[in-house]
Amino acid sequence: MKKYPDLYLALFSAVVLCLAGRWAFLGTRSPFPPPDSIREVRRSAVGDAIALSLGLRRLAADVWFIRLMQYYGAPSPESAEAGAGPQEYGAGAYPEFLPMARHILALDPYFTNAALFSAGSLAFNMNRPEEAVAFLEDAMSFAPREWKYATLLSAIGYSKAKDPRKVAETITPLLNEPDCPVMLRQLGAFLNKKAGDYAAAYRIYGDILATSKDPFYVDNARREMEKLAPLLRAPL
Amino acid sequence: MSHLLTALKVAGHSFAENYRSRFFALFLVFAGVLIYSSLLAGVMAVDEEARVITDFGLALMELITLAYALMASASAITREMETKTIYLVLSRPVSRPAYLAGRAAALYAVLASMLAVMALIHLSLLWVRGLAPAPMYLKAVAFIWCKLAVITSAALFISLFSTSAVSTVVIAAILWTLGHFTAEARFLASRSTGAAAVLLSTASLVIPDLQLFNARDLASSVPAPAGPAFLAAYLLLWLVVPYLFSLLLFRKKEF
Amino acid sequence: MTGREDAVLTLSEVHKSYRAPGLFGTAVIPALRGVSFELVRGEVAGLLGLNGAGKTTIMKLATGLLFPGSGSISVFGMPPSDMRAKKRVGYLPELPYFYPSSTAAESLRYYAGLSGLGGAELDRRVSEVIEKVGLSPHARKKASEFSKGMMQRLGIAQAVVHDPDLLILDEPVSGLDPLAIHDIRVLISELNGSGKTVFLSSHSISELEKLSGRVFIMVQGALVRTVERREWESSSGGLEGIFVNTVKGGGPGGA
Repeated sequence: MKKYPDLYLALFSAVVLCLAGRWAFLGTRSPFPPPDSIREVRRSAVGDAIALSLGLRRLAADVWFIRLMQYYGAPSPESAEAGAGPQEYGAGAYPEFLPMARHILALDPYFTNAALFSAGSLAFNMNRPEEAVAFLEDAMSFAPREWKYATLLSAIGYSKAKDPRKVAETITPLLNEPDCPVMLRQLGAFLNKKAGDYAAAYRIYGDILATSKDPFYVDNARREMEKLAPLLRAPL
Repeated sequence: MSHLLTALKVAGHSFAENYRSRFFALFLVFAGVLIYSSLLAGVMAVDEEARVITDFGLALMELITLAYALMASASAITREMETKTIYLVLSRPVSRPAYLAGRAAALYAVLASMLAVMALIHLSLLWVRGLAPAPMYLKAVAFIWCKLAVITSAALFISLFSTSAVSTVVIAAILWTLGHFTAEARFLASRSTGAAAVLLSTASLVIPDLQLFNARDLASSVPAPAGPAFLAAYLLLWLVVPYLFSLLLFRKKEF
Repeated sequence: MTGREDAVLTLSEVHKSYRAPGLFGTAVIPALRGVSFELVRGEVAGLLGLNGAGKTTIMKLATGLLFPGSGSISVFGMPPSDMRAKKRVGYLPELPYFYPSSTAAESLRYYAGLSGLGGAELDRRVSEVIEKVGLSPHARKKASEFSKGMMQRLGIAQAVVHDPDLLILDEPVSGLDPLAIHDIRVLISELNGSGKTVFLSSHSISELEKLSGRVFIMVQGALVRTVERREWESSSGGLEGIFVNTVKGGGPGGA
């Protein structure tokens, strides 16, 4: 020990490091789902592998979210082929929408807004509430305390029961969140308008106009406010 | 105490040398351009612009600084040996532990300053777009430095026995990717038997678990995989152990 | 060896070999074979030999850059790697290389700091030494802009900046013009005049004749002859004649 103090010190500290590494390996729980939960979508395998190997799950989820919005922002090719006219508010087949949404959540299960956007679009625009519910339940398995998922689930339930007033009332706390997806705010405004609460609808459209950067929703909000203003005798 | 002062002198000089290097300046310019190009991704993300610009910016900061860290640590000592500038240092009352510690400390300081400058550039972009930084921003940047410090420490050790700077960079890059695969390795180990399970479990002993420091990938609401005391101790071990093994090799080196 | 109290550098039966990796194994190349000699305080001793004779090896052993295979080396009664010994040694390697982006003054300040100088004394010594080696007009130039001669002057400057008691100079006049050689010769004489011990190697027999009190002749790693000044002064061929006869006369034969 006296002759080679460096060697013994290095070996001792290496043993401590190995023990720490072992503890981390066995004792810590990954905040992310296992890799087998990531299903390939649109030849995503290589990109997914790179994302995992460089610790870039969140960034990969962002990229896929942009792709999802671009996919959903264009007319559904399946509907166009079937000869259907322009689809309003994202109605349409969009067969890859759910796999892409699941892909985003498998990469980053904490991307709450993407989950809300996807579930909301499935339930209220594409009229696929069962898929929306299943999707939200998957999301909640990783974030069981996320109240926004439970709120949206309740809203979907009321939607299935054809109670728009109850839907509008249920999702109001969601709409008050500063980072609430604009699609849900648009839905809230639409439902309030349908239920006759023009003031609430006007307020929500005004919020969309002030905060959203999506030109589709901004233009729509402006148009709706023009229609609602005379009803409220409110300034534009 | 004198060894510490010597190490600080070596660190200060090495830090200044890094700063004067054209390579360093190029990296920063490149980083600035890339960070601002994340503006495009932010625009495409519409209402998720803040998140996307933040994520792109942090990822770019990490990858650019990683590239510099690998190249700088692969050549930090070997370059001095090749150019013989090390003769004028080690022929003086500079102990080899102090020299090694000084070179390592300089690299850590350079990485910290690079991240600080890039964070300022990134924050300026967020400010220009009227966006606030995420609550976890500073923590994410600090933990990026932790990951880079770990891989730099390992790369310095590898450079002392590897045959070239390129092979050091390659080995360290592989270690970087393996370090992010620990969760997947754990998953595979639980589903494997025999030699595969043993191999995967053994890998956990020698590969740094970089996912522990991957705060950039976690939302603020998600608890860290380990407590701060363990993380600090783990980081310290991953700085000290490669250093001690580097010292074992470096002590015997002849010039 | 007598182990004299005024012994500055003592080599006793020092053997040193290098390993050269080959296609079918590692070849062992002997660099020094049982070299023994002693330098006393205040003398100027030269080391003369053909390329590959072991001159640089001896100098590096004395500065702790190499380790002997067997035998012993002491510098001021201490191992060469002892910090107290290194503090009293100034080393000029063959073809000194400096950090390209540092100026002459910055380099000297760095090396002076590593040698234990600080504060006002460091400033004073750096200014003095820059003046002494004739680099005052170039003090703020970067080393990358230096000519060979300027580099050599800077090399000598860093060797003397901390006022060492023993100077080990490997080819101090290599590649210099006649005026620079004269200046260096005068400087070495002045340093010796102030009590410094000087140990220098050179291919230039005339320089060794002018400066040294005695010269060690190396042939194929062995110290074959030690020649005193009075011997070559009384010899018709001078030091050159003695050297040529020694080299042609054969291999290891002792002093």
